[in-house]
Amino acid sequence: MSEQGETGETVTILLVEDDAPTCWRLQDALVKAGYEVRSAGTLAEARTALAEAAPRVLLTDLRLPDGHGVELIREVRQRFPDTEIMVISALGDEESVISAITVGATGYLLKDAFPTDIATTVRDLVAGHSPISASIARFIVRRTQGAAQSSAGATPGPALNTAKLTPREIDILWGIAKGFSYAEIASHLGLSRQTVPGHIKNIYRKLEVHTRSEAVFEAVQQGLIKL
Amino acid sequence: MSEIAAKAPTRPRRRLIVSRLVPYLLLQALIVIATILGLRLLQPSDPEDFALSQFSLREDGVTRPVTLPHFTSSRYSLADPPLYTGAFTFRSADAGAGWSVYLPRFSNAVEVAVNGVVVLDSRRDANANRPDRNTPQIAVIPASLLRDGSNEITVRLFVWGPLKGFLDTVYVGPDAALRPSYETRTLLFVTLQVAFSAWQSILAVILAIMWLMRRREPVYGVLAVAMVLGVIQAFIPPPVPPAAISRLAAVLLASAPTESALIVAFGVLFFGWRWPRYGMLLFAPGLIVFVVGLIAGPPLPRILFLVLGIPTVGICLFLMACVTATAVVRRQDAASFTIGCAVTIVLTCWVHDMLSVFEIVTNERIFVSRLSYSAMLVAIGAGLTWRFARALNQVDSFAGQLVTRVHEAEERLKASFAREEERARAAALANERTRLMRDLHDGLGGQLVSIVALSERGHEGASITDAARAALKDLRLVIDSMDDIGGDLMLALGSWRERATAQLRPHDIALDWRVATPQGVPLHPELRPWHVIQIVRILDEAVTNAVKHAQARNIAVTIETLDGAQGPYGVISVTDDGCGFARAENGEAAGASQTARGLRNMRSRAARCGAMLDLSSDAQGTQVRLQLPQVFPDSDAAGG
Repeated sequence: MSEQGETGETVTILLVEDDAPTCWRLQDALVKAGYEVRSAGTLAEARTALAEAAPRVLLTDLRLPDGHGVELIREVRQRFPDTEIMVISALGDEESVISAITVGATGYLLKDAFPTDIATTVRDLVAGHSPISASIARFIVRRTQGAAQSSAGATPGPALNTAKLTPREIDILWGIAKGFSYAEIASHLGLSRQTVPGHIKNIYRKLEVHTRSEAVFEAVQQGLIKL
Repeated sequence: MSEIAAKAPTRPRRRLIVSRLVPYLLLQALIVIATILGLRLLQPSDPEDFALSQFSLREDGVTRPVTLPHFTSSRYSLADPPLYTGAFTFRSADAGAGWSVYLPRFSNAVEVAVNGVVVLDSRRDANANRPDRNTPQIAVIPASLLRDGSNEITVRLFVWGPLKGFLDTVYVGPDAALRPSYETRTLLFVTLQVAFSAWQSILAVILAIMWLMRRREPVYGVLAVAMVLGVIQAFIPPPVPPAAISRLAAVLLASAPTESALIVAFGVLFFGWRWPRYGMLLFAPGLIVFVVGLIAGPPLPRILFLVLGIPTVGICLFLMACVTATAVVRRQDAASFTIGCAVTIVLTCWVHDMLSVFEIVTNERIFVSRLSYSAMLVAIGAGLTWRFARALNQVDSFAGQLVTRVHEAEERLKASFAREEERARAAALANERTRLMRDLHDGLGGQLVSIVALSERGHEGASITDAARAALKDLRLVIDSMDDIGGDLMLALGSWRERATAQLRPHDIALDWRVATPQGVPLHPELRPWHVIQIVRILDEAVTNAVKHAQARNIAVTIETLDGAQGPYGVISVTDDGCGFARAENGEAAGASQTARGLRNMRSRAARCGAMLDLSSDAQGTQVRLQLPQVFPDSDAAGG
């Protein structure tokens, strides 16, 4: 059994994780689900693997022996725009997930997730559905409130620009934060159930800061920097 | 022993009084001498070349020669006044300009005729009618009246008692020679008095305003009243006896004793003493003169004034001198010294006037007490105004000091506030650490220990995995609960739903999530992380029981807001379709004891949050109903 993408090819995954048991566990679950998995334990190994071929999906831990996963995500995002990126997190806390999202990740995977859930999450991701947890949604919506309340952002946690989010997207995030399912959110907001994952992907895309110049532009737009 | 102790401080004190009083009294004696000398020196000189002092006086039908100055007996009738007749020599060759007749001092009024024609009637001049002012009179003699050689001059002296009539030397001569002397006397005894009175009236207004603004200090008011009385007395012309407006006269007569009593009151208040109740007696003479003046016609009030009023003035002056002397001994300050000296001068002048009235010393009957009194009042008023201005300056500098002090206090307060805040922050941190420790101990710690125990006993697989998963789940719960959720418990429940769903998925159990009311549970601004942990752990326990011990297939979580008597409250129910814990008890003993411990835990957690926990269980399932409090308790009272 082989998991295939839209083009019918086998979905390739690059798994970057320095802890061997965790790596085996994830790799087993993904291989069992039919994916083609290459694994790397360090940034250097990951770069070597990327030089050979672009993976369809990149799963990476953030703390790596020779650097930070954020660098890798940023590189992959720029070199291979079609690659889906997920961050592997032990706790799914906003500190790691949000910083990954801002450089281009579109989802996260818990290290202790059940094998079936691991496979399901990756499949959804390849299908264009980004997973989002209630605590991450909560962090984002609270940050939108915080930005509205005070521009002198003394809020803790990673920097996050929520200015581009539409009210509808913020409503969806509120729904997720309060534990409602996609179907419930869709019915509350008068949406089609299928459109909700697309909105979430959009949210991820909007939270991404593409380049340094764009970051400066946005800071100026929001009045954070005065020229 | 006690006598010695009592005497010991008395002796130095007496010595102190003597050492202070003697120099003061010596100074006052010097002032008295200086005043007497001053009065003698300031006696205006008259042009003696033109003096007429040999007159013949016709009084009560008897004619006798007299030498001016001359006193006549006191009388209360204006009819048939004493008539002085004299003669002077006029040589038309000498008379370049006109001649005048000049009367430096008389009392109470004169009518002067030259060669039978009246040239001067002082009764028409209000100022001249006052016995307390030494008003001079001058009149130009029309040239047509004067004859070369001897001329006759007659002076009618009108006297209204009780004082004796008085006529000083009469001067007749060239106007140019007499006028300067007249001007000097006018300046001294009329203009100066008016100037003082005007000054007094201004000060009266100022002091009255001060008193109105500062009612607590009656000293200003007392002095203002005294000055107003003085001004009234000075400016209202006393009625000439034939036109007897006796009531007005009474008011004017009463003014002098009243004023002097007011001055004593001022002195007492000024030096910070209480005005004694019997002090009101001082005002009695003035009042008596006033009342008698209103009731009885002249001459009674005037007699009364002489007998009652003038001694009162003297007594008051003497009292004032005593008051100031005491103040000098006690306070030794400039104000008491100055006022004391002023009082001594006025007292000397009063004695001088008395001696003059009773003809004990030879004199020209020049009264100076009123003048000196006015001068004293003006001095006191000016001093008070000065003191007021100085007090204002002190207030200014005090305000400046106050600003500095307040600033300093503010700085200190800021510093202590910062310290306090730092302390509070440290305390909050310590509390948070304690809480975190307890939370980790309750959950994660126990689970890790159980993992260690299981792996040591060589367990494989499921039980270790379960314990480790539980530990991870608890770690996530602790981390998650520390997030600020702004009092919205739904945000915490949302995360919990996610974790619970993930936990139930391998067991193939569906979690039915029903939010009955749109907002779920009410907002609780007082909600703290430790409340959230307790609530979530209760829900976790309920779900775990349902899965592990009751073999449930469906679990439903219902979240709703109900309206109670004191307002809305939230209710969270976890319902399962398992076998309930009654059957579990019969079944396996180990599971039963575990369930019992779990239930106890749930109850104690609910109690710590102020929530009510209801458990109902039968063979068809179990319902755990958690009713949230209206307000979450601030302190973890039941915790420990």
